[in-house]
Amino acid sequence: VKIRHLVWLRRTLQAFFLIFFLFLVIESRLPQDVYIDYNMAFSADQELRLDQPVTFFFQLDPLIGISSLLSGYTFVKGFLWGAGILVLTILLGRIFCGFICPFGTIHHAVGTFKPALKGSRMVQANLKTSDQKIKYVILILLLVAAVCGLNAAGLMDPIAFLFRSLALAVLPGLGAGLRSIFEIMAASDFKILNLAGYGAEILVSPIFGYNQPAYQTAWFIGFIFLVILFLNRIRPRFWCRTLCPLGALLGIFSRISILKLEKYAQKCTACNLCLKHCQGAASPRPDQEWETAECLMCLNCFNVCPEDALAFRFVWSLERNRQPDIGRRALLGGLTVGISFPLFARLDGSIDKDPDSRLIRPPGSLPEKEFLELCQRCGLCMKACPTNVINPTLGEAGVAGFWTPRLIMTQGYCDYTCTLCGSVCPTGAIQEITVDEKIKQPIKIGSAYIDRGRCLPWSGNAPCIVCQEVCPTSPKAVYLKADVVATSDQKSLNVHLPFVDLKRCVGCGICENKCPVRGLPAIRTISAGESRSLSNQILL
Amino acid sequence: MNWIKESIMNFDKPLTRRESIKKLLQLGGSLGLAGAIGGSLQTPKVVNAASENKKFIIEGIGQTEGYSVRALTRKVFESAGGAGRFVSKGDVVVIKPNISWARRPELAATTNPEVLAAVIELCQEGGAKKVRIADHTINDARRCFALSGAAAVAKNTGADLIHPRSSLMKKMSLKGNRLDTWPVFVPLVEADVLINLPVAKHHSLSRLTIGMKNWIGAVGGSRYSLHQDIHQSIVDLAHFFRPTVTLIDAVRIMTRNGPSGGSTSYVTEKNTLILSDDPVAGDARAAMLFNHQPQNLGFIRMAQEQGLGTFDFQKLAQQKVVL
Repeated sequence: VKIRHLVWLRRTLQAFFLIFFLFLVIESRLPQDVYIDYNMAFSADQELRLDQPVTFFFQLDPLIGISSLLSGYTFVKGFLWGAGILVLTILLGRIFCGFICPFGTIHHAVGTFKPALKGSRMVQANLKTSDQKIKYVILILLLVAAVCGLNAAGLMDPIAFLFRSLALAVLPGLGAGLRSIFEIMAASDFKILNLAGYGAEILVSPIFGYNQPAYQTAWFIGFIFLVILFLNRIRPRFWCRTLCPLGALLGIFSRISILKLEKYAQKCTACNLCLKHCQGAASPRPDQEWETAECLMCLNCFNVCPEDALAFRFVWSLERNRQPDIGRRALLGGLTVGISFPLFARLDGSIDKDPDSRLIRPPGSLPEKEFLELCQRCGLCMKACPTNVINPTLGEAGVAGFWTPRLIMTQGYCDYTCTLCGSVCPTGAIQEITVDEKIKQPIKIGSAYIDRGRCLPWSGNAPCIVCQEVCPTSPKAVYLKADVVATSDQKSLNVHLPFVDLKRCVGCGICENKCPVRGLPAIRTISAGESRSLSNQILL
Repeated sequence: MNWIKESIMNFDKPLTRRESIKKLLQLGGSLGLAGAIGGSLQTPKVVNAASENKKFIIEGIGQTEGYSVRALTRKVFESAGGAGRFVSKGDVVVIKPNISWARRPELAATTNPEVLAAVIELCQEGGAKKVRIADHTINDARRCFALSGAAAVAKNTGADLIHPRSSLMKKMSLKGNRLDTWPVFVPLVEADVLINLPVAKHHSLSRLTIGMKNWIGAVGGSRYSLHQDIHQSIVDLAHFFRPTVTLIDAVRIMTRNGPSGGSTSYVTEKNTLILSDDPVAGDARAAMLFNHQPQNLGFIRMAQEQGLGTFDFQKLAQQKVVL
């Protein structure tokens, strides 16, 4: 095998994993042709599930596995894949970063197709700097915080970061843009244009979402994503070198990797080509010591060296590679922040004292403390939810729960016979439940209350029974009493007044979603009454 | 990509925008993209009884143990003169079932999938070029279609499922007493043959939801405000949507806690199908299965008063078939 072949193998695998990742992001939703055999479904509730292994990359990601183990003492589904990546790293170094990671591939592509720096400035940008310690600080911080009970790894984990950015910001944003172009085309007088406009709408919906999805804080998620991409113009693969905690973790594991960069200083002519093409700023030049922990295993230096002064070889020796450049200050900094962040984050009282009434978690969610030990804020539940009710939080879950899922009933509602979010959660922060469990236990996520001043029949404005009509429980949690109310001109109006039976209400929020009183609906849902909490209750 | 080819090859002939939408949507179906809609812009044809000019009502009852719902559906259509009476060769047939809720078929919140399958097969045998199932559901359409069995029926019969999407809701003038301009689910008005296929259920406001109320699932917009004047809204919609024929599924009826139900204890087996080209008569006959007098139901009474049909069954050709 020639080195050139290996580089092409890397490019092929990078493309494959990036495309596979994008495919899984897109497939993280119910397809339009989902069906079940109705003979089976006739008398028993069937679970609708996604066909594709949408959590695959999360299983492959050892940072998610390790942080979940440290904070929630849980082996996540498919954690052995992640363990496999660690073994692979011990053998081959940060091969995950160079060959597999879809986020790394995006950075690689951004920096390669349109390099911002040329010649010696690129060489300069690829020199190892002490900034690269930051990723170890972040890793230590996240792992220590996880031990202290707050799993925030997903905020910085590349798989969770990329999934969240694509699913909640990039795809819906592009979808919105494309749809508005098609609307203009469809309104045009040119036949080809308007045919294409209507056709395109049909073709893009399966990719960008069937009904234009909307997510709270999506603009912010998208903005940060663009900033991270832009940083590649300052230093190539800025994220991978400087910020990525998974890269830091794999860097530490590469300490004993047996695939080593052999250098033949006598052949080197100091042309700096290796440095110019180095992805990781890992000091490939023969006169420098190779930084194993920084090397992304892109094989570029090996490939471009005109003098054969560099070669990757398997070296079976117990001699360890160069130590990752963590430094004592980074260690202490990470420890300090990692311990204080979870403790400070609890001080707003949202876990122990005063749960936010707006914090309605998806059905099957663990109690808040355990939930924060596992949730990666990846957005998979939000992408999969067929009604678009699950949104990333802003402040509703406190700073500790930033971007964790929350149900916004004016945007959607929790479908009574749907259990999809729990089935896709990579860590089990939302447990996988069955329709039977959801309905029969029942699993409550909150409860509804009526705002009589706004309610049409209560306020004497008009008859209406929509909240009762759509209430899915049996018997219905929203019930009616026939009554006569006075209108503004002192006429009497026959109405049915709605009431909520809190014992039956599961907090699904369809009443709030379908209430014809727009703006602030006349029936609203709060988290009190959720079955996952012992204290956030209303009834005895 | 046939439709692209065809549309490009035909560009010597100018098309209006509306025609082009129609054309695209017709061709779109061949892509197997269920989102496509289509049909011609002809108004649904008015079917007159071949033998007499009277409107008809046919009641089919399954009396034998373990009878086949499909066979009963066929028998009811046969006694009306067969599907050929309603469907001509090359027609685009659009069926409007009631699949508002993501409930399993047993709970009778949605149209019986066996009836749906039988009607599709009849239309196909009658020469329909395309059969489409369209409903603007209340729960998410994918889940409604999957759980109610409609998606499986579509797959088995080759009918197209038309998902409600905002681009398929077009503002139209309903010219009703109460409702004026309203977004309408386009595939239902652009059909050669429109078949209303409701399930008969209890409803907490209008007391029953049968055929005429099924058209609430044919409009978009803020349709939950229709409840503020429900009876006139139903009549206005029934005035706008004129189906070729209505087949009411009363095999299992929901007698309480409607329209969404949720327990088999609300469901009574009536083993009945009612086929009529008079929307008022069909609803009235179905109402009697719930022991309601038709004149006591606001929307049925008002529909007769406003000339949509009659519940004076003597004026109709009545038939009864049993299986």
